Amino acid sequence: MELQIITNPEGQVRIALEANASAEYLVLQDGTGASARSCDTEYDISLAEGASLKMVFLSLDGPLLRNKLRVSLQGHDAVCDLAGLCLADGSQQMAYDVLMTHQVSQCRSTQLFKNIVGGSAVTHFDGLIHVVPDAQKTEAYQANHNLLASDTARAYTRPQLEIYADDVKCSHGATIGRLNPDELFYLRSRGIPQAEARLLQQLAFCHEVLEKISSAEWSEKMQALVEEKLRKLSVSC
Amino acid sequence: MNTLLKIENLHASVGEKEILRGIDLEIKAGEVHAIMGPNGSGKSTLSAVLAGRDTFTVTEGSVLYEGRDLLALSPEERSWAGLFLGFQYPVEIPGVSNVNFMKAAVNEQRKQRGLEPLSAAQFLKLMREKMATVEMDSSFSGRGVNVGFSGGEKKRNEIFQMAMLEPRLAILDETDSGLDVDALRIVAGGVNRLKRPDNAFIVITHYQRLLDYIVPDVIHVLYKGRIIKTAGKELALEIEQKGYDWLIQESE
Repeated sequence: MELQIITNPEGQVRIALEANASAEYLVLQDGTGASARSCDTEYDISLAEGASLKMVFLSLDGPLLRNKLRVSLQGHDAVCDLAGLCLADGSQQMAYDVLMTHQVSQCRSTQLFKNIVGGSAVTHFDGLIHVVPDAQKTEAYQANHNLLASDTARAYTRPQLEIYADDVKCSHGATIGRLNPDELFYLRSRGIPQAEARLLQQLAFCHEVLEKISSAEWSEKMQALVEEKLRKLSVSC
Repeated sequence: MNTLLKIENLHASVGEKEILRGIDLEIKAGEVHAIMGPNGSGKSTLSAVLAGRDTFTVTEGSVLYEGRDLLALSPEERSWAGLFLGFQYPVEIPGVSNVNFMKAAVNEQRKQRGLEPLSAAQFLKLMREKMATVEMDSSFSGRGVNVGFSGGEKKRNEIFQMAMLEPRLAILDETDSGLDVDALRIVAGGVNRLKRPDNAFIVITHYQRLLDYIVPDVIHVLYKGRIIKTAGKELALEIEQKGYDWLIQESE
């Protein structure tokens, strides 16, 4: 399975995986080339029986980035793995709105969305797992974790479950917090300067999303982009 | 012998609560000092204050390290000056690998001393050598810092880090707690290998058994934030047999 890259998408993106098809996408919003621009993108995604989809989103550059994901698991044993990372600073606004619908039984979905918010930036996460009455043996997980890097940054999160079947494994979780002071002290006690220690912690926070990219080459490239953005973010706040 | 650390009338609090209530301690190069004492006597607070943890407020007294005001330095500046704290509870940092952690630490220390960063090959060689001294498997280098390590592995990782950084003054905060005899021997071996005439150790412990392996020059007993007894290494055995009560009674 080859990794496909989507850069600064706009408007509608439609992905329909046929039975037993599999695909992996990396969606990069970094505004390069088209200058920093706003993006409003809607993803319409459907998976047939046995299909498997992985998507990793990286939102870095652009004053207003809005991503609306509508995923419909329509065939048994479909697997959908979504992960996203927003690094927002200045007055950037970034939003993810995810609707994961389990239409049939025995499908599996995971969502992992992480945000680092600095400056006076704002992020929104609005996620809903919807399991219809017949979608027994569903496994659906959702997590949204936010790291605030300034006093004026804001993160909004709305994790939701709507489950109409009774034999499912579902969970959701959301956190908003700051860097762990025990970790920071540990790093500094070994001589790592405060700014560098914070950067290491922030990179560690991002790691869980970046390691989902199965191509080592692209994972490293994205790591470099993320590091570059984090250095700017730590200067600005 | 030259004085490495001189603590005078040190008082420190957390919130309203005073934990250290007038500590005096002088440590010279080449010495090993043990600090013993019952739970809650302030041993860990003393080590945290020396390392620069900001959860504690120094309200009185002074600490000179090689003649400099230690308390004015940030935790990283203390490390650059050669201070090392072996944590009682080493922190787990998921997502930061041991190798990247140590590379950042070692190269920062070198930068502060005006040295070039080590090449990748030089660094890995050094890391392998030092890991071998504490019998740590090389597979640990790629893992997250202390993540999923057993208690003994975490303590060995502390000694490994100490070996990498070669401090002038190392404070080991209950490095022996939770160790079996084999791990204790490895940890003590790591410490003894680093002992030189120009560096010093403060070993904080509950038990005499660590002091069989790391032989101290001086033992201090801390109680309610004060040193109530200072004696030679034979004191450890006496404490092992009789506990702390007689010392506490003697001091009151």
